[in-house]
Amino acid sequence: MTNPKRLLIVDDNEDILSTFYEFFNSMGYEVKTAGDGFVALKLLRDEALFFDCLITDLVMPNISGVGLISIVKKEFTHLKIIAITGYGDQPGALASEAKADIVLFKPIDLFKIEDTVASLLSDDNDNPKV
Amino acid sequence: MSTPLIGVSKSMLKIKELINHVANTCLNVLITGETGVGKEVVAQSLYTESNRSSQHFVKINCAALPETLLESELYGYEKGAFTGAHKKRPGKFQTADKGVLFLDEIGDMPLALQSKMLHVLQSGQFSPLGSDQNFKTDVWVIAATNHNLEEAIRAKTFREDLFYRLNIIKIEIPPLRQRKEDIPSLIEYYFRLYKTQYPNNMGSKPDAETLNRLCNYPWPGNVRQLQNCIKKQMVVNSWDKIFEELPSEHPQNIPRDISNPLNHESSPFNYNEETNDRMSIISEFVDLSTSSEKLFEDISLKKIKKLASDRVEKEVITFVLGRVGWNRSKAAKILKISYKTLLYKMSEFEVAPP
Repeated sequence: MTNPKRLLIVDDNEDILSTFYEFFNSMGYEVKTAGDGFVALKLLRDEALFFDCLITDLVMPNISGVGLISIVKKEFTHLKIIAITGYGDQPGALASEAKADIVLFKPIDLFKIEDTVASLLSDDNDNPKV
Repeated sequence: MSTPLIGVSKSMLKIKELINHVANTCLNVLITGETGVGKEVVAQSLYTESNRSSQHFVKINCAALPETLLESELYGYEKGAFTGAHKKRPGKFQTADKGVLFLDEIGDMPLALQSKMLHVLQSGQFSPLGSDQNFKTDVWVIAATNHNLEEAIRAKTFREDLFYRLNIIKIEIPPLRQRKEDIPSLIEYYFRLYKTQYPNNMGSKPDAETLNRLCNYPWPGNVRQLQNCIKKQMVVNSWDKIFEELPSEHPQNIPRDISNPLNHESSPFNYNEETNDRMSIISEFVDLSTSSEKLFEDISLKKIKKLASDRVEKEVITFVLGRVGWNRSKAAKILKISYKTLLYKMSEFEVAPP
């Protein structure tokens, strides 16, 4: 039996957050959620090694997704990062600049996100970033 | 010495915690809030807690200077770059290198300079006016504004791309009227400060009633206005006089009780009285002295409705029973409830003949 992969999902929209939570839970992931980048950062600083992958929205209060990605890239380098944005090109471009592994644009199919997560986490055994 | 961030409200504690978590990231910060809430104090705290605290903290007010002057202040110029440029002068980007550049009133920056700023933030390079040399710059940019930048973007007076680049970390400072809990500690702090600065001043601290009035004033000018009042009190030593001079706010609250001849239309305290009335009614049913978190747990409209109606019912039942010589069936008839209900209510509210 393998350990379930652990996701941290961050979005300031509660409905989206609970939809993501239900979906990834049902797909066999272990999921924790946070309502903005600041809550997420506190979770990470408490137990960074717990998580395998971060899925984050970009435009949020306190610490934005772009801010969170920059911090994670510096402090928690093992984490894979998927950025999801619904605000046009600007934040998405900044997320790429902050070196998110993948940037996806809303609206987006949950199964497609799951595919992305699965493939990111499967080449964990060291393909340096493509 | 810089002012410490003072406050015990939930929102201020959260801001302190946020500062603590991001001070060493050097990510761009946007601080928003009404005038006088303490945006610069927050910027200073970020700087003091960061590993750049031994470097410069350079401030520039983007609203105070005309466009061309602002540009040369920010980027500096070479000798002969324009008429009057007799010698080379470094800009703020240069003096702030390795330190913090605090861009106050960023919402008032002219559009042309916004583009240039964006370019510098993207590339980490700038060139002084009249120079074709590019300089690398390593500044931590903290910007502040009392404008709603999202609205400014819609009105096309602020660049969306610059907004997103600055808005990596957003610190929103609520106005003082939304965090009244902070007022006593602010008063305490500024009293102590001005006493040490002007030891001969006689101004007395507010007593409980005055403090209450101070806490219930809406402070349109926020902490700065409160600060000025305390400074004034050090000189005039009369809270009455200070209240007289405070501008009245929220005029919609003023024409309250027309039938009350004692209600002076011009009094600046109608707002306060109204708030006080409300608070005193609420305090009869809820303990207002607890933390706001606990308070919100305690406030349930259903619970309060029950408490309030119980109290009125008890008074009415006692009154009617007294009038009919404690004849319960008569009282039940008058109250238009059943005899059984009356007995039940009497025992619930512990109503007994004297």
